[in-house]
Amino acid sequence: MLSTVWNQIIILPFTNVLLLIYDGIGHNFGIAVILFTILIRLVTWPLNASQLKSAKVMQDLQQDKAWQDIQKKYAKDKEKLAQEQMRIYKERGINPFASCLPTLIQFPVIFGLYRVIMDALAATPLGFLQLARSIYPWMNAAALIPLNSKFLWMDLGRPEGIPFPGGFTIGFLPHGFPTLAIIVAITTYLQTKLTMPPTSSGTGGQSAAMGNMMSVYMPLLLGYFALNFASGLAVYFITSNVLGVVQYAMMGRVNWRNLLPGGQQQPAPGKKK
Amino acid sequence: MKRLALLSLIGLTALVLSACGTPTNINWPGLAADAENAYLANGNLVYAVRLSDGMKLWQYPEKSAGQVFYSNPVLAPDGQLLIGSAGTDNGMVSLDPATGRENWAAPMVANNHWVASPLVVGGTIYAANNNGTLYAAELATGYILWSLPLDNSLWSAPTSNGKLIFVTSLDHTLYAVDPETRAVVWKTDLGGSAPGSATVSPDGNTVYVGSFGKKVFAFDASSGAMQWTADVQDWVWSAPVQDGDILYAADISGHIYSLGAPDGKNAWLDLQPDGPITGSPLVTADGMVVASESGSVFAYDRTGTKRWDASLGGKFYTTPVAAGGSIAVAPMGGDFLVAALSQDGKVLWKFTGK
Repeated sequence: MLSTVWNQIIILPFTNVLLLIYDGIGHNFGIAVILFTILIRLVTWPLNASQLKSAKVMQDLQQDKAWQDIQKKYAKDKEKLAQEQMRIYKERGINPFASCLPTLIQFPVIFGLYRVIMDALAATPLGFLQLARSIYPWMNAAALIPLNSKFLWMDLGRPEGIPFPGGFTIGFLPHGFPTLAIIVAITTYLQTKLTMPPTSSGTGGQSAAMGNMMSVYMPLLLGYFALNFASGLAVYFITSNVLGVVQYAMMGRVNWRNLLPGGQQQPAPGKKK
Repeated sequence: MKRLALLSLIGLTALVLSACGTPTNINWPGLAADAENAYLANGNLVYAVRLSDGMKLWQYPEKSAGQVFYSNPVLAPDGQLLIGSAGTDNGMVSLDPATGRENWAAPMVANNHWVASPLVVGGTIYAANNNGTLYAAELATGYILWSLPLDNSLWSAPTSNGKLIFVTSLDHTLYAVDPETRAVVWKTDLGGSAPGSATVSPDGNTVYVGSFGKKVFAFDASSGAMQWTADVQDWVWSAPVQDGDILYAADISGHIYSLGAPDGKNAWLDLQPDGPITGSPLVTADGMVVASESGSVFAYDRTGTKRWDASLGGKFYTTPVAAGGSIAVAPMGGDFLVAALSQDGKVLWKFTGK
């Protein structure tokens, strides 16, 4: 039941919009993935903006004297601390989950997009049959498929790799030098770092640690996906990462200092710069 | 940390959800048989199963080594068993049907996977690869003799009338290739993808093929001139099969057609027993047999009257195969890998892989 709802609400519409774009731009799947990613980013931008706003509110709260006072006062009483925190949230009209909710909503979108790209590039007989059945009746499916999976030097239906000279192979790199996987890892690292909010040295230690962990974990994870899955997915990751930085830059929220060692921290309140 | 754990859990849930509702994408059984054994390519393994009692003779490889098999194994006239892999090795392998040992493997490697079964003509293998290239290789050694780039993905087994090699492509085209000159003699647009092979008439003069364009075509084998087209109700996945003056075909809506070989006229009106059909019909002494995605096998006589049906479970995508005096079928996702049916639809045995 849940998978049927998932398919009907996310997978099938995404697949057909992607194919509509593909058909409209002259059957270039790489460009279609890029344009589709831009479209999804635009549609989910209000959620991103809301998330940024909530994150800013939470960040400003860290500097509030009343907030800092209760952190010190109830440092050893977690239950009381939690009660006092909720009291302050209520007094100030702050929803502590507001910065999480947009992310929660975006996760199904992100993973739906991943599924759609993999399904559209059907490289197996069963995948081809499933793709054929995913296309809405009013689209000319027979004319559309198979999709043209060639984009630049890549076959978007297969993991990307530039063959090593002389036919040389490395066991864990069966497809050659993983150019795209490296670009995915780098852009993911940059996006994570540049869009991470600065934290104060006094109270943001845990946030900074989490942010640093994400800036290592996410590039490795997405780089692994890019290494082993169809390169169409890597094109989506790169596009999404670049767009993420661009969107934050347009809002003036890109923190270039985060790229420097120790650049994530800002001076604690009351101290001269 | 709690937030990170929560987001990770949500992300993992979304990832699992995104995989929900779809069967594994890596399996599409392939089946062949001789007088004594059935040969099943299923996922990562090839099995030989004795027709007399359904016992396993051997499996290849002993332990999975990255190969994935989608196509039907092919028994060559010299006794080799040929099968191409869709795994990371992209290799075509020759096995001894009696023991499952490799005759050769390394020589015939392409840069993309094999979905199509090979064709053997004389001492040459003709194999169509997913990279759009038709390869010719020496049957005895597997060494590639020449290759001819055609077009998009080639998923169908080549066929031949002894003079030309016929290959259909997912890119809507039927090619006729002269193996002497290694050139395309003619090609024609089928109006849609053609994952199934072209069928050559017994006299070698006509080529029949179905496509996603909702048509079945007949072409002159030498020139490619169209002789007739028959409109069907949905996409034709597999090759039509000829029985005398009748051409049987099926589509993925589950319709079965009995077309006149000379003119394409359909003698069966709206015969649609059950679910989608992607395999070719099998011609039998009494008529024909089809297997559907609904997990059932149906037998009809030449007038379109149902002789029997057997509900076996799983999903049939693979063409049934004549196996000695029985009919072998291989489902995907069933509680068995291959079963043998008698000519009147009784289950003789089921092989589960153990």
